[in-house]
Amino acid sequence: MSFLEKLLRSKVFVWILILLPGLWPVWPIFLHPNSSVLADPLKFILHHLGFTACLLLATVLTFTPLRVLFPKWGVAQALNRHRRLVGVSAFAYAALHFATHVIYEGGTDVGTIPSILRTAVGKPFQLIGLLTLAILFLLTITSLTAAIRWLGGKLWKNIHRLAYVAAGLAAYHQAAARKIFPLQVLWIFVPLLLLEVARIIKQRRNAPSPARS
Amino acid sequence: MLIRSPQDWELPESAATEEKFYHLSKRRDFLKSIGVAGVALAARDLLGATAGFPAKENPAYPASALKPTSYDLITSYNNFYEFGTDKDEPKPNSKKWKPEPWTVEIAGLIRNPVKIDVNDLIGKLGGIEQRVYRMRCVEAWSMVIPWDGFPLSKLVAFADPKPEAKFLKLTTILDPKNLPGQQENILRWPYVEGLHLDEANNELAFIATGIYGKPIPNQNGAPLRLVTPWKYGFKGVKSIAKIEFVAEQPMNTWRVMAPREYGFLANVNPTVDHPRWSQASERIIGGGGLLGARQKTLMFNGYEKQVAALYQGVDLKKFY
Repeated sequence: MSFLEKLLRSKVFVWILILLPGLWPVWPIFLHPNSSVLADPLKFILHHLGFTACLLLATVLTFTPLRVLFPKWGVAQALNRHRRLVGVSAFAYAALHFATHVIYEGGTDVGTIPSILRTAVGKPFQLIGLLTLAILFLLTITSLTAAIRWLGGKLWKNIHRLAYVAAGLAAYHQAAARKIFPLQVLWIFVPLLLLEVARIIKQRRNAPSPARS
Repeated sequence: MLIRSPQDWELPESAATEEKFYHLSKRRDFLKSIGVAGVALAARDLLGATAGFPAKENPAYPASALKPTSYDLITSYNNFYEFGTDKDEPKPNSKKWKPEPWTVEIAGLIRNPVKIDVNDLIGKLGGIEQRVYRMRCVEAWSMVIPWDGFPLSKLVAFADPKPEAKFLKLTTILDPKNLPGQQENILRWPYVEGLHLDEANNELAFIATGIYGKPIPNQNGAPLRLVTPWKYGFKGVKSIAKIEFVAEQPMNTWRVMAPREYGFLANVNPTVDHPRWSQASERIIGGGGLLGARQKTLMFNGYEKQVAALYQGVDLKKFY
Protein backbone atom coordinates (compact mmCIF):
# COMPACT_ATOMS: atom_id res chain seq x y z
CA MET A 1 0.00 0.00 0.00
CA SER A 2 1.49 3.32 -1.03
CA PHE A 3 1.92 6.18 1.39
CA LEU A 4 -0.57 8.30 -0.54
CA GLU A 5 -3.10 5.52 -0.44
CA LYS A 6 -2.66 5.06 3.30
CA LEU A 7 -3.05 8.80 3.81
CA LEU A 8 -6.17 9.00 1.67
CA ARG A 9 -7.77 6.05 3.47
CA SER A 10 -7.60 8.03 6.71
CA LYS A 11 -10.87 9.78 7.59
CA VAL A 12 -9.02 12.29 9.75
CA PHE A 13 -6.82 13.32 6.83
CA VAL A 14 -9.83 13.76 4.53
CA TRP A 15 -11.63 15.80 7.19
CA ILE A 16 -8.60 18.09 7.38
CA LEU A 17 -8.54 18.45 3.59
CA ILE A 18 -12.20 19.41 3.65
CA LEU A 19 -12.01 21.87 6.55
CA LEU A 20 -8.84 23.70 5.49
CA PRO A 21 -10.36 25.63 2.57
CA GLY A 22 -13.08 26.88 4.90
CA LEU A 23 -10.41 28.38 7.14
CA TRP A 24 -8.43 29.93 4.28
CA PRO A 25 -10.13 33.40 4.41
CA VAL A 26 -8.61 33.88 7.88
CA TRP A 27 -5.26 34.39 6.13
CA PRO A 28 -6.01 37.43 3.90
CA ILE A 29 -8.47 38.93 6.41
CA PHE A 30 -6.67 38.55 9.74
CA LEU A 31 -3.21 37.00 9.50
CA HIS A 32 -1.86 38.72 6.42
CA PRO A 33 -4.37 41.52 5.70
CA ASN A 34 -4.81 42.24 2.02
CA SER A 35 -6.37 45.60 1.12
CA SER A 36 -8.36 44.29 -1.81
CA VAL A 37 -9.89 41.61 0.43
CA LEU A 38 -10.50 44.05 3.29
CA ALA A 39 -12.38 46.32 0.87
CA ASP A 40 -15.29 43.93 1.35
CA PRO A 41 -14.26 40.84 3.35
CA LEU A 42 -17.70 39.24 3.18
CA LYS A 43 -17.58 39.30 -0.62
CA PHE A 44 -14.30 37.42 -0.50
CA ILE A 45 -15.80 34.87 1.90
CA LEU A 46 -18.92 34.54 -0.28
CA HIS A 47 -16.91 33.79 -3.42
CA HIS A 48 -14.48 31.55 -1.60
CA LEU A 49 -17.24 29.36 -0.13
CA GLY A 50 -18.91 29.00 -3.53
CA PHE A 51 -15.57 28.16 -5.13
CA THR A 52 -14.88 25.50 -2.51
CA ALA A 53 -18.34 23.97 -2.97
CA CYS A 54 -17.75 23.71 -6.74
CA LEU A 55 -14.32 22.20 -6.18
CA LEU A 56 -15.61 19.56 -3.74
CA LEU A 57 -18.57 18.69 -5.96
CA ALA A 58 -16.33 18.21 -9.00
CA THR A 59 -13.84 16.25 -6.86
CA VAL A 60 -16.33 13.77 -5.43
CA LEU A 61 -17.72 13.07 -8.89
CA THR A 62 -14.29 12.02 -10.13
CA PHE A 63 -14.13 9.17 -7.59
CA THR A 64 -16.38 6.72 -9.46
CA PRO A 65 -14.84 7.22 -12.93
CA LEU A 66 -11.38 6.91 -11.39
CA ARG A 67 -12.34 3.54 -9.90
CA VAL A 68 -13.94 2.34 -13.13
CA LEU A 69 -10.94 3.41 -15.21
CA PHE A 70 -8.28 2.20 -12.77
CA PRO A 71 -9.94 -0.59 -10.74
CA LYS A 72 -6.66 -1.84 -9.29
CA TRP A 73 -5.32 1.57 -8.28
CA GLY A 74 -5.27 1.78 -4.49
CA VAL A 75 -5.67 5.58 -4.45
CA ALA A 76 -8.94 5.32 -6.40
CA GLN A 77 -10.16 2.68 -3.95
CA ALA A 78 -9.17 4.85 -1.00
CA LEU A 79 -10.98 7.86 -2.40
CA ASN A 80 -14.17 5.90 -2.90
CA ARG A 81 -14.36 5.24 0.85
CA HIS A 82 -15.11 8.95 1.31
CA ARG A 83 -17.78 9.60 -1.29
CA ARG A 84 -20.47 10.42 1.23
CA LEU A 85 -18.25 12.61 3.38
CA VAL A 86 -16.95 14.67 0.45
CA GLY A 87 -20.39 14.89 -1.17
CA VAL A 88 -22.04 16.11 2.03
CA SER A 89 -19.21 18.62 2.54
CA ALA A 90 -19.93 20.06 -0.92
CA PHE A 91 -23.50 20.64 0.28
CA ALA A 92 -22.26 22.14 3.54
CA TYR A 93 -20.08 24.67 1.69
CA ALA A 94 -22.90 25.46 -0.74
CA ALA A 95 -25.28 26.04 2.19
CA LEU A 96 -22.72 28.33 3.89
CA HIS A 97 -22.25 30.14 0.57
CA PHE A 98 -26.01 30.75 0.36
CA ALA A 99 -26.23 31.84 4.00
CA THR A 100 -23.38 34.26 3.34
CA HIS A 101 -25.23 35.58 0.27
CA VAL A 102 -28.27 36.30 2.47
CA ILE A 103 -26.13 38.22 4.97
CA TYR A 104 -24.21 39.93 2.15
CA GLU A 105 -27.46 41.19 0.66
CA GLY A 106 -29.52 41.86 3.76
CA GLY A 107 -27.16 42.03 6.73
CA THR A 108 -28.45 40.43 9.90
CA ASP A 109 -32.01 41.71 9.37
CA VAL A 110 -34.16 38.59 8.89
CA GLY A 111 -36.94 40.74 7.41
CA THR A 112 -34.96 41.17 4.17
CA ILE A 113 -34.91 37.43 3.40
CA PRO A 114 -38.20 37.32 1.41
CA SER A 115 -37.04 40.08 -0.94
CA ILE A 116 -33.62 38.43 -1.33
CA LEU A 117 -35.35 35.19 -2.32
CA ARG A 118 -37.67 37.02 -4.70
CA THR A 119 -34.66 38.59 -6.43
CA ALA A 120 -32.92 35.20 -6.56
CA VAL A 121 -35.89 33.46 -8.16
CA GLY A 122 -36.22 36.21 -10.77
CA LYS A 123 -32.64 35.98 -12.05
CA PRO A 124 -31.48 32.85 -13.89
CA PHE A 125 -27.95 33.17 -12.53
CA GLN A 126 -29.13 33.18 -8.91
CA LEU A 127 -32.02 30.73 -9.47
CA ILE A 128 -29.61 28.16 -10.88
CA GLY A 129 -27.46 28.54 -7.79
CA LEU A 130 -30.54 27.86 -5.65
CA LEU A 131 -31.47 24.80 -7.74
CA THR A 132 -27.95 23.43 -7.31
CA LEU A 133 -28.26 23.89 -3.57
CA ALA A 134 -31.68 22.17 -3.59
CA ILE A 135 -30.25 19.14 -5.42
CA LEU A 136 -27.30 18.93 -3.04
CA PHE A 137 -29.72 19.14 -0.12
CA LEU A 138 -31.79 16.28 -1.54
CA LEU A 139 -28.65 14.18 -2.02
CA THR A 140 -27.52 14.95 1.51
CA ILE A 141 -30.73 13.91 3.25
CA THR A 142 -30.91 10.73 1.15
CA SER A 143 -27.30 9.85 1.93
CA LEU A 144 -28.21 8.36 5.30
CA THR A 145 -28.01 4.57 5.34
CA ALA A 146 -31.65 4.39 6.42
CA ALA A 147 -32.70 6.46 3.39
CA ILE A 148 -30.80 4.15 1.06
CA ARG A 149 -32.62 1.15 2.52
CA TRP A 150 -35.98 2.90 2.41
CA LEU A 151 -35.65 4.07 -1.21
CA GLY A 152 -34.12 0.88 -2.52
CA GLY A 153 -30.84 0.72 -4.40
CA LYS A 154 -32.16 1.46 -7.85
CA LEU A 155 -34.28 4.51 -7.03
CA TRP A 156 -31.52 5.79 -4.77
CA LYS A 157 -28.99 5.46 -7.56
CA ASN A 158 -31.21 7.34 -9.98
CA ILE A 159 -31.79 10.13 -7.48
CA HIS A 160 -28.06 10.39 -6.90
CA ARG A 161 -27.41 10.75 -10.63
CA LEU A 162 -28.79 14.27 -10.06
CA ALA A 163 -25.30 15.05 -8.79
CA TYR A 164 -24.24 15.34 -12.44
CA VAL A 165 -27.04 17.83 -13.07
CA ALA A 166 -25.86 19.75 -10.01
CA ALA A 167 -22.31 19.84 -11.39
CA GLY A 168 -23.53 21.26 -14.70
CA LEU A 169 -25.63 23.90 -12.95
CA ALA A 170 -22.79 24.76 -10.58
CA ALA A 171 -20.41 25.27 -13.50
CA TYR A 172 -22.89 27.68 -15.12
CA HIS A 173 -23.49 29.50 -11.84
CA GLN A 174 -19.77 29.89 -11.21
CA ALA A 175 -19.11 31.12 -14.75
CA ALA A 176 -21.94 33.67 -14.54
CA ALA A 177 -20.70 35.04 -11.24
CA ARG A 178 -18.08 37.12 -13.03
CA LYS A 179 -18.33 39.75 -15.75
CA ILE A 180 -16.09 37.72 -18.02
CA PHE A 181 -15.73 33.94 -18.20
CA PRO A 182 -13.48 32.83 -15.33
CA LEU A 183 -10.92 30.20 -16.34
CA GLN A 184 -11.14 28.49 -12.94
CA VAL A 185 -14.44 26.97 -14.09
CA LEU A 186 -12.47 25.08 -16.74
CA TRP A 187 -9.78 23.69 -14.47
CA ILE A 188 -12.40 22.61 -11.95
CA PHE A 189 -14.89 20.94 -14.28
CA VAL A 190 -12.99 19.92 -17.45
CA PRO A 191 -10.99 17.11 -15.75
CA LEU A 192 -14.30 15.70 -14.49
CA LEU A 193 -15.77 15.90 -17.97
CA LEU A 194 -12.78 14.08 -19.50
CA LEU A 195 -12.90 11.34 -16.87
CA GLU A 196 -16.63 10.84 -17.43
CA VAL A 197 -16.16 10.59 -21.19
CA ALA A 198 -13.36 8.02 -20.73
CA ARG A 199 -15.50 6.07 -18.28
CA ILE A 200 -18.50 5.96 -20.62
CA ILE A 201 -16.32 4.77 -23.49
CA LYS A 202 -14.83 2.02 -21.31
CA GLN A 203 -18.22 0.89 -19.98
CA ARG A 204 -19.73 0.81 -23.49
CA ARG A 205 -16.87 -1.36 -24.69
CA ASN A 206 -17.19 -3.79 -21.81
CA ALA A 207 -20.98 -3.94 -21.81
CA PRO A 208 -22.68 -6.96 -23.42
CA SER A 209 -24.16 -6.19 -26.81
CA PRO A 210 -27.78 -4.96 -26.62
CA ALA A 211 -29.04 -7.90 -28.73
CA ARG A 212 -28.18 -10.36 -25.98
CA SER A 213 -29.52 -8.37 -23.06
CA MET B 1 -24.79 90.58 0.79
CA LEU B 2 -24.17 87.24 -0.74
CA ILE B 3 -25.86 84.33 0.96
CA ARG B 4 -24.68 81.01 -0.38
CA SER B 5 -27.14 78.16 -0.07
CA PRO B 6 -25.26 74.88 0.13
CA GLN B 7 -25.49 72.60 -2.88
CA ASP B 8 -26.42 69.00 -2.41
CA TRP B 9 -23.03 67.73 -3.55
CA GLU B 10 -21.22 69.79 -0.95
CA LEU B 11 -19.28 67.97 1.75
CA PRO B 12 -18.84 68.95 5.40
CA GLU B 13 -15.50 70.19 6.64
CA SER B 14 -15.18 66.93 8.58
CA ALA B 15 -14.83 65.04 5.31
CA ALA B 16 -12.00 67.24 4.11
CA THR B 17 -8.89 65.45 2.97
CA GLU B 18 -6.23 64.94 5.57
CA GLU B 19 -3.23 67.12 5.09
CA LYS B 20 -0.83 64.19 4.79
CA PHE B 21 -2.46 63.24 1.53
CA TYR B 22 -1.83 66.64 0.05
CA HIS B 23 1.87 66.22 0.39
CA LEU B 24 3.79 64.84 -2.49
CA SER B 25 7.05 63.03 -2.15
CA LYS B 26 9.70 64.34 0.17
CA ARG B 27 11.82 64.87 -2.90
CA ARG B 28 9.35 67.32 -4.34
CA ASP B 29 8.99 69.10 -1.02
CA PHE B 30 12.74 69.48 -1.01
CA LEU B 31 12.84 70.73 -4.59
CA LYS B 32 10.12 73.22 -3.82
CA SER B 33 12.01 74.43 -0.79
CA ILE B 34 15.03 75.28 -2.93
CA GLY B 35 12.87 76.90 -5.57
CA VAL B 36 12.94 74.22 -8.23
CA ALA B 37 9.37 73.54 -9.23
CA GLY B 38 6.96 73.95 -12.03
CA VAL B 39 5.42 72.01 -14.83
CA ALA B 40 8.59 71.19 -16.72
CA LEU B 41 10.21 69.49 -13.76
CA ALA B 42 7.05 67.82 -12.56
CA ALA B 43 6.50 66.30 -15.96
CA ARG B 44 9.75 64.41 -15.60
CA ASP B 45 8.73 62.91 -12.28
CA LEU B 46 7.30 59.48 -11.64
CA LEU B 47 3.85 59.94 -13.07
CA GLY B 48 2.27 61.13 -16.28
CA ALA B 49 0.25 64.12 -15.17
CA THR B 50 1.88 65.95 -12.35
CA ALA B 51 0.95 69.49 -13.29
CA GLY B 52 -1.07 71.61 -10.93
CA PHE B 53 -0.52 69.80 -7.62
CA PRO B 54 -1.43 70.43 -4.92
CA ALA B 55 -4.91 71.08 -6.29
CA LYS B 56 -7.21 73.57 -4.62
CA GLU B 57 -10.60 72.39 -3.59
CA ASN B 58 -13.25 73.83 -5.86
CA PRO B 59 -15.18 76.22 -3.54
CA ALA B 60 -18.41 75.13 -5.25
CA TYR B 61 -17.62 71.54 -4.26
CA PRO B 62 -16.52 71.63 -0.66
CA ALA B 63 -17.18 68.84 1.74
CA SER B 64 -20.61 67.15 2.45
CA ALA B 65 -22.16 64.27 4.35
CA LEU B 66 -20.05 61.87 2.28
CA LYS B 67 -17.28 59.89 3.90
CA PRO B 68 -14.32 59.42 1.57
CA THR B 69 -13.05 55.87 1.18
CA SER B 70 -9.45 55.42 2.34
CA TYR B 71 -6.65 56.02 -0.14
CA ASP B 72 -5.43 52.50 0.48
CA LEU B 73 -8.71 50.90 -0.60
CA ILE B 74 -9.29 53.23 -3.56
CA THR B 75 -5.88 52.26 -4.89
CA SER B 76 -6.01 48.50 -4.13
CA TYR B 77 -9.51 47.48 -5.25
CA ASN B 78 -9.51 48.17 -8.96
CA ASN B 79 -11.22 47.06 -12.14
CA PHE B 80 -8.59 47.66 -14.80
CA TYR B 81 -8.57 44.54 -16.98
CA GLU B 82 -5.53 45.79 -18.90
CA PHE B 83 -3.61 44.83 -15.75
CA GLY B 84 -5.56 41.71 -14.72
CA THR B 85 -9.17 40.75 -14.14
CA ASP B 86 -8.99 40.36 -10.35
CA LYS B 87 -9.34 43.49 -8.25
CA ASP B 88 -6.04 42.93 -6.49
CA GLU B 89 -4.07 42.58 -9.73
CA PRO B 90 -3.90 46.08 -11.27
CA LYS B 91 -1.87 47.53 -8.38
CA PRO B 92 1.07 45.10 -8.48
CA ASN B 93 0.86 44.52 -12.24
CA SER B 94 1.01 48.22 -13.12
CA LYS B 95 3.79 49.07 -10.71
CA LYS B 96 6.57 49.17 -13.29
CA TRP B 97 4.57 50.96 -15.96
CA LYS B 98 5.71 54.55 -16.62
CA PRO B 99 2.92 56.52 -18.26
CA GLU B 100 5.18 59.46 -19.05
CA PRO B 101 5.72 61.45 -21.08
CA TRP B 102 2.08 61.19 -22.11
CA THR B 103 0.58 62.63 -25.24
CA VAL B 104 -3.17 62.77 -25.67
CA GLU B 105 -4.75 63.21 -29.08
CA ILE B 106 -7.84 65.40 -29.37
CA ALA B 107 -9.35 64.79 -32.77
CA GLY B 108 -12.46 64.45 -34.92
CA LEU B 109 -15.12 67.01 -35.75
CA ILE B 110 -13.42 69.96 -34.05
CA ARG B 111 -11.72 73.17 -35.03
CA ASN B 112 -8.69 72.66 -32.81
CA PRO B 113 -7.32 69.15 -33.32
CA VAL B 114 -4.09 68.62 -31.35
CA LYS B 115 -1.69 66.06 -30.04
CA ILE B 116 -0.61 67.54 -26.76
CA ASP B 117 1.47 66.65 -23.73
CA VAL B 118 -0.80 66.01 -20.78
CA ASN B 119 0.87 68.64 -18.57
CA ASP B 120 0.66 71.24 -21.33
CA LEU B 121 -3.04 70.42 -21.69
CA ILE B 122 -3.62 70.87 -17.95
CA GLY B 123 -1.81 74.21 -18.16
CA LYS B 124 -3.91 75.37 -21.10
CA LEU B 125 -7.14 74.39 -19.31
CA GLY B 126 -6.21 76.46 -16.26
CA GLY B 127 -4.92 73.80 -13.89
CA ILE B 128 -6.72 71.34 -11.68
CA GLU B 129 -9.18 71.34 -8.78
CA GLN B 130 -10.41 68.79 -6.25
CA ARG B 131 -13.93 67.36 -6.06
CA VAL B 132 -15.34 64.61 -3.87
CA TYR B 133 -17.66 62.32 -5.81
CA ARG B 134 -19.55 59.12 -5.15
CA MET B 135 -18.52 56.27 -7.39
CA ARG B 136 -20.91 53.40 -8.06
CA CYS B 137 -19.70 50.28 -9.85
CA VAL B 138 -22.11 48.25 -12.00
CA GLU B 139 -21.12 45.32 -9.75
CA ALA B 140 -23.15 46.92 -6.94
CA TRP B 141 -20.42 48.40 -4.79
CA SER B 142 -19.52 52.00 -4.11
CA MET B 143 -16.76 54.30 -2.91
CA VAL B 144 -16.39 58.02 -2.24
CA ILE B 145 -13.34 59.43 -4.01
CA PRO B 146 -11.64 62.83 -3.73
CA TRP B 147 -10.58 63.36 -7.33
CA ASP B 148 -8.21 65.98 -8.68
CA GLY B 149 -8.58 67.08 -12.28
CA PHE B 150 -10.49 69.39 -14.56
CA PRO B 151 -14.07 69.61 -15.85
CA LEU B 152 -14.50 67.82 -19.18
CA SER B 153 -16.44 70.85 -20.44
CA LYS B 154 -13.19 72.86 -20.42
CA LEU B 155 -11.60 70.31 -22.72
CA VAL B 156 -14.66 70.41 -24.98
CA ALA B 157 -14.40 74.21 -25.20
CA PHE B 158 -10.67 73.92 -25.93
CA ALA B 159 -11.34 71.42 -28.74
CA ASP B 160 -14.03 73.71 -30.16
CA PRO B 161 -16.44 71.16 -31.67
CA LYS B 162 -18.11 71.67 -35.02
CA PRO B 163 -21.93 71.51 -35.15
CA GLU B 164 -21.80 67.94 -36.54
CA ALA B 165 -20.08 66.64 -33.40
CA LYS B 166 -22.65 64.83 -31.29
CA PHE B 167 -20.62 62.37 -29.22
CA LEU B 168 -17.25 61.97 -27.53
CA LYS B 169 -15.33 58.75 -28.04
CA LEU B 170 -12.63 58.22 -25.42
CA THR B 171 -10.03 55.50 -25.90
CA THR B 172 -7.48 53.91 -23.58
CA ILE B 173 -3.90 53.60 -24.78
CA LEU B 174 -3.19 50.41 -26.77
CA ASP B 175 0.14 49.08 -25.54
CA PRO B 176 0.05 45.30 -25.05
CA LYS B 177 3.73 45.24 -24.13
CA ASN B 178 3.18 47.32 -21.00
CA LEU B 179 -0.51 46.59 -20.40
CA PRO B 180 -0.34 42.77 -20.31
CA GLY B 181 -4.10 42.24 -20.18
CA GLN B 182 -4.22 43.52 -23.77
CA GLN B 183 -2.25 40.45 -24.85
CA GLU B 184 -5.25 38.33 -23.95
CA ASN B 185 -8.53 38.16 -25.75
CA ILE B 186 -10.71 39.08 -22.76
CA LEU B 187 -12.22 42.32 -24.11
CA ARG B 188 -11.96 44.06 -27.45
CA TRP B 189 -8.92 46.30 -27.06
CA PRO B 190 -8.38 49.16 -26.74
CA TYR B 191 -11.09 50.02 -24.22
CA VAL B 192 -13.55 52.55 -25.62
CA GLU B 193 -16.20 54.63 -23.87
CA GLY B 194 -18.45 57.40 -25.06
CA LEU B 195 -20.67 60.27 -23.97
CA HIS B 196 -23.26 62.46 -25.61
CA LEU B 197 -21.82 65.95 -26.11
CA ASP B 198 -24.33 67.44 -23.66
CA GLU B 199 -23.31 64.84 -21.06
CA ALA B 200 -19.68 65.80 -21.58
CA ASN B 201 -20.64 69.43 -21.03
CA ASN B 202 -22.53 68.68 -17.82
CA GLU B 203 -20.90 70.33 -14.80
CA LEU B 204 -20.21 66.92 -13.18
CA ALA B 205 -18.28 65.33 -16.06
CA PHE B 206 -14.65 65.38 -15.01
CA ILE B 207 -11.24 64.24 -16.18
CA ALA B 208 -9.22 63.03 -13.20
CA THR B 209 -5.46 63.46 -12.99
CA GLY B 210 -5.20 62.76 -9.28
CA ILE B 211 -6.68 61.16 -6.19
CA TYR B 212 -6.42 62.60 -2.65
CA GLY B 213 -4.21 65.40 -3.91
CA LYS B 214 -1.64 63.09 -5.47
CA PRO B 215 -1.08 62.21 -9.13
CA ILE B 216 -3.45 59.41 -10.02
CA PRO B 217 -1.81 55.99 -9.52
CA ASN B 218 -1.35 53.71 -12.52
CA GLN B 219 -3.96 51.21 -11.31
CA ASN B 220 -6.60 53.97 -11.20
CA GLY B 221 -5.96 55.06 -14.77
CA ALA B 222 -2.92 57.33 -14.95
CA PRO B 223 -2.56 59.94 -16.19
CA LEU B 224 -6.05 60.84 -17.48
CA ARG B 225 -9.26 59.11 -16.53
CA LEU B 226 -12.90 59.94 -17.13
CA VAL B 227 -15.16 60.43 -14.09
CA THR B 228 -18.94 60.58 -14.58
CA PRO B 229 -20.32 60.05 -11.08
CA TRP B 230 -23.96 59.61 -12.14
CA LYS B 231 -23.00 56.66 -14.34
CA TYR B 232 -21.67 53.21 -13.52
CA GLY B 233 -17.92 53.05 -13.04
CA PHE B 234 -17.19 51.23 -16.29
CA LYS B 235 -17.90 54.50 -18.13
CA GLY B 236 -14.76 55.86 -16.47
CA VAL B 237 -12.29 54.97 -19.20
CA LYS B 238 -8.73 54.94 -17.87
CA SER B 239 -5.35 56.00 -19.24
CA ILE B 240 -6.94 57.98 -22.06
CA ALA B 241 -4.81 58.31 -25.19
CA LYS B 242 -7.41 59.71 -27.57
CA ILE B 243 -10.53 61.85 -27.33
CA GLU B 244 -12.45 61.97 -30.56
CA PHE B 245 -15.50 64.07 -31.40
CA VAL B 246 -17.83 62.05 -33.63
CA ALA B 247 -21.27 62.22 -35.22
CA GLU B 248 -22.41 58.68 -34.44
CA GLN B 249 -22.75 57.00 -31.06
CA PRO B 250 -19.53 55.05 -30.45
CA MET B 251 -19.73 51.38 -29.47
CA ASN B 252 -18.46 51.13 -25.91
CA THR B 253 -16.40 48.10 -24.89
CA TRP B 254 -18.72 46.45 -22.36
CA ARG B 255 -21.64 46.89 -24.71
CA VAL B 256 -19.69 45.02 -27.38
CA MET B 257 -19.03 42.28 -24.84
CA ALA B 258 -22.58 41.88 -23.46
CA PRO B 259 -25.17 44.25 -24.97
CA ARG B 260 -28.01 42.87 -22.85
CA GLU B 261 -26.13 43.65 -19.65
CA TYR B 262 -24.32 46.93 -20.34
CA GLY B 263 -25.76 49.87 -22.20
CA PHE B 264 -24.39 53.12 -23.61
CA LEU B 265 -25.94 55.49 -21.06
CA ALA B 266 -25.11 53.24 -18.07
CA ASN B 267 -26.80 55.68 -15.67
CA VAL B 268 -26.93 54.54 -12.07
CA ASN B 269 -30.54 53.49 -11.60
CA PRO B 270 -31.81 51.49 -8.61
CA THR B 271 -35.02 50.56 -10.48
CA VAL B 272 -33.32 48.87 -13.44
CA ASP B 273 -31.59 45.66 -12.44
CA HIS B 274 -28.61 44.05 -14.06
CA PRO B 275 -29.83 40.72 -15.51
CA ARG B 276 -27.79 38.81 -12.93
CA TRP B 277 -28.11 40.97 -9.84
CA SER B 278 -30.16 43.74 -8.25
CA GLN B 279 -29.07 47.37 -8.54
CA ALA B 280 -31.39 48.55 -5.74
CA SER B 281 -28.60 48.71 -3.19
CA GLU B 282 -24.82 48.60 -3.01
CA ARG B 283 -22.00 47.35 -0.80
CA ILE B 284 -19.91 50.13 0.75
CA ILE B 285 -16.22 49.50 0.15
CA GLY B 286 -14.46 49.73 3.49
CA GLY B 287 -17.88 49.48 5.14
CA GLY B 288 -16.23 48.15 8.28
CA GLY B 289 -16.00 44.90 10.17
CA LEU B 290 -16.26 41.42 8.79
CA LEU B 291 -19.86 41.82 7.63
CA GLY B 292 -19.35 45.20 5.97
CA ALA B 293 -22.24 47.47 5.10
CA ARG B 294 -24.80 48.10 2.40
CA GLN B 295 -26.77 51.19 1.45
CA LYS B 296 -29.64 52.00 -0.88
CA THR B 297 -28.56 53.08 -4.33
CA LEU B 298 -29.73 56.58 -5.28
CA MET B 299 -31.17 57.57 -8.66
CA PHE B 300 -28.30 58.89 -10.80
CA ASN B 301 -26.12 57.96 -7.82
CA GLY B 302 -27.46 60.97 -5.90
CA TYR B 303 -26.82 63.48 -8.70
CA GLU B 304 -30.39 63.72 -9.95
CA LYS B 305 -30.51 67.53 -9.67
CA GLN B 306 -27.48 68.00 -11.89
CA VAL B 307 -28.26 65.47 -14.60
CA ALA B 308 -31.96 64.52 -14.66
CA ALA B 309 -32.66 67.24 -17.25
CA LEU B 310 -30.36 65.45 -19.70
CA TYR B 311 -32.70 62.47 -19.84
CA GLN B 312 -36.15 64.03 -19.98
CA GLY B 313 -38.38 61.84 -22.14
CA VAL B 314 -35.77 59.08 -22.32
CA ASP B 315 -36.99 55.58 -21.41
CA LEU B 316 -34.26 54.65 -18.93
CA LYS B 317 -35.45 51.04 -18.75
CA LYS B 318 -34.88 50.67 -22.48
CA PHE B 319 -31.73 52.79 -22.62
CA TYR B 320 -29.95 51.33 -19.59
